[in-house]
Amino acid sequence: MKKKDKISRPNPQAVGTETGTAPSVPIMNQTENPKIRLENINYYYGKGTPFEVKALDSVSLDIHAGKLTGIIGHTGSGKSTLVQLLNGLSRAGEGRVLLDGTDIWAKPKDIGRIRYRVGLVMQYPEYQLFEETVFADIAFGPRNMGLSEEEIRERVVEAAAFAGVPADLMDKSPFDLSGGQKRRVAIAGIMAMRPEVLVLDEPAAGLDPQGRHTIFQGIRHYNRNTGCTVLIVSHSMEDMAQYCDDVVVMAHAKVLMAGDRDYIFSRADELEAVGLDIPQVTKLCQLLRRGGMPMPAGLYTVEAAEEALEAIFSQAKGQRKGGKQA
Amino acid sequence: MENTPFIHVQNLSYSYVGEDDKPIPVLKNLSLDIREGEYVVILGHNGSGKSTFAKLLNLVVDDYTFAEGTITVDGVEVMSPDLTDEEVLNLRKNVGMVFQNPDNQLVATVVEEDVAFGPENLGIPQSELRARVDEALATVGMTDYAHHEPHRLSGGQKQRVAIAGIIAMKPRCMIFDESTAMLDPVGRREVLETIEKLNREEGITVISITHYMDEAARADRVIVLSDGQLVLDGTPGEVFTHSDTLRAVGLDLPQCTAVSQHLITKNLPVHGEINTPEQCAEAILNAWKRM
Repeated sequence: MKKKDKISRPNPQAVGTETGTAPSVPIMNQTENPKIRLENINYYYGKGTPFEVKALDSVSLDIHAGKLTGIIGHTGSGKSTLVQLLNGLSRAGEGRVLLDGTDIWAKPKDIGRIRYRVGLVMQYPEYQLFEETVFADIAFGPRNMGLSEEEIRERVVEAAAFAGVPADLMDKSPFDLSGGQKRRVAIAGIMAMRPEVLVLDEPAAGLDPQGRHTIFQGIRHYNRNTGCTVLIVSHSMEDMAQYCDDVVVMAHAKVLMAGDRDYIFSRADELEAVGLDIPQVTKLCQLLRRGGMPMPAGLYTVEAAEEALEAIFSQAKGQRKGGKQA
Repeated sequence: MENTPFIHVQNLSYSYVGEDDKPIPVLKNLSLDIREGEYVVILGHNGSGKSTFAKLLNLVVDDYTFAEGTITVDGVEVMSPDLTDEEVLNLRKNVGMVFQNPDNQLVATVVEEDVAFGPENLGIPQSELRARVDEALATVGMTDYAHHEPHRLSGGQKQRVAIAGIIAMKPRCMIFDESTAMLDPVGRREVLETIEKLNREEGITVISITHYMDEAARADRVIVLSDGQLVLDGTPGEVFTHSDTLRAVGLDLPQCTAVSQHLITKNLPVHGEINTPEQCAEAILNAWKRM
């Protein structure tokens, strides 16, 4: 597989901050100076075998710097494949991944450095804990970066606070923690490397509502306070609606749509058409509109729906009063 | 016997054995009854004791050092030390359990062999075995996959095969321990529809443990546990009216129910069931049209 990749490697001269050739597919969610740009990515599993699957098909996409971006789609839509390209964990047969305008594979030998800049938290990361204490586990990444003990300690404390790991757990064995706590330790371990981009694949899967909120609030707080660009892969539209700035919707190996929350949820009907769950409250607003109520389109939070409904009801009351007076 | 509930739990307390043999309390003085044919959802935050409760019902727990009270399933006291092997087998056959991780439950290399594993171990004769496997696969909608390799299936399909493996043993009750937690929305829907079918059409008693409030909205009855104690018990509509209690124990209301309740607190005439988006829309539209 590796050798094959080498053969189909795109433009080996693509070094430095050059702009490259114009992409043939329009870039979704395009912006000037994106943190990450994916250019014409095609990715195959088992290429040349009878089981060949195209996991990413002509994907061109910008990820905006400093934003919290959600990636949503069915199982098999290509979202996990996509995030594994971002730190060079896997490499697309065709197309380029640009980090701050530079091809991450420009110097393949330096791909290890990209992994410090783009941190990836995989699904169920709690199974990847291995150190004797929580502190040692969070410190593993920074230690590998060759930092001083003092600097390591500072980073561990900071990351633990962002991820919601209480200080009194630091000397415990990670294996004595609850599932939610282990998850937070694993996330802190990546945050402690202070990556420029943090990618989390299903960070709240299997947690209870409180656990979900704690994790998402921690991630958002981290994003707002450090300016780190954050990507979250999730199945939950409700979580996306609540916490993300931008949303990328994947379907059948392509980017179906990408943009800010307001734009994405204004297209709720299309999301439903491809079988994605829309937030329950968006569904409610849709049903109310169909029932003749003048609800604005694209509402995705409980608060916004409550506000709109209160306005509609008070207007109806006003009309009734007005009608009686007349 | 007629009036005895299928599952009768009386003053149940349970603790795990921790460091230095100290008890770690999980369930505290729990009492409840579950009747045959009910579809019960048990809600609770992580660590609320709901999984331990399920394991006790199915005799997966074997350390009763710190167990108090009684659990009776189909008239048999399950924590009794005098349980015969036959009684244990009979209980396990009657109460099946589906776990969270679809990858940890399939044992064979072909789907139909996996489904046959349980009934074969019960000593079901070959002739009947065939019929049971076919019937079970049909019930979960996996007939076309009988000869497939389980590891190539989606998460939802794997869970349905796991369910088929249990219904082939013809249980009277099935416990789902967060069986949809690791699935995507499509897989969740598949499994939920299967669970509902088992309950509504086959009459199997269903106890489903979940974090998803929209799943709870579809059950007959919702039980909320927090820190090992029973906090709420009633129909979804009754339980969802206790929004403050639910939030206090770390659970969320379904979004639609929250919106509808907010309108009710504003003295708007929203009436009736408000557990699903469809019900909420109907209630709100009715109120609006009456304005």
